[in-house]
Amino acid sequence: MVQETLLAAWRGRDRFAGKSSVRTWLVGILKHKIIDHIRKEIRDRKLSEAVKSDPTSSLFNADGSWIEAPENWKENPQELCENEQFRHVLQGCIAKLPEKQQIVFRMREISGEDTETVCKEAEITPTHLHVLIHRARLALRTCLEFYWFGGRRS
Amino acid sequence: MNHFCREASQLQSDAFERQLTLSEHIRLRIHLLICEACRNYADSLKLLNSFFHNLRKQVQQDEGITLPDSDRERIKEALSRTSDSAG
Repeated sequence: MVQETLLAAWRGRDRFAGKSSVRTWLVGILKHKIIDHIRKEIRDRKLSEAVKSDPTSSLFNADGSWIEAPENWKENPQELCENEQFRHVLQGCIAKLPEKQQIVFRMREISGEDTETVCKEAEITPTHLHVLIHRARLALRTCLEFYWFGGRRS
Repeated sequence: MNHFCREASQLQSDAFERQLTLSEHIRLRIHLLICEACRNYADSLKLLNSFFHNLRKQVQQDEGITLPDSDRERIKEALSRTSDSAG
């Protein structure tokens, strides 16, 4: 950061008006550098959170088609239900979901609460709930395809 | 022809949550006729749905309860912590 400041000062030395001391001028540049850095940090963090909470950007091309087409799963839900190993993998995949998606998904699919109850408890609109559940399903399916269905085929 | 996949995946999930409008329903049906990838996605959602259905039935038989109050409180608490994030 200090190096960048000195570099910026060197490049901009013609603009130094001499109205303030060199020290004040340098500190001023440093402040701007720090603010820029923090802004960039926040932007990067928001971006990575957005990607994590919205799997659609990593699963679909810009034109709306699948990047990797979903495979055909041939399993019996009743057998899966009795399969300890599958339940273990599923738990792991659910645990990977972003917190809010995980909470509403668990309430909806595992506890079997109706939409109205989930919305009330989570203080969200039905539309928001549908988006969260949709994202959770996409992410869960991708995770299961990788850790369960894909692994068993190969 | 596959440009509808992203929207179709949302509609397929929504179909478990709400009644689709007639136009949504028709668009989705037509797309599923021509798109194998989305048919596979549909099948996997159905599979997961019946899996969770079976699981709930099993849990209810085992315990005769849905969600303990302590869990309910914990969920509420966690939600109030994350309510400002987009999720």
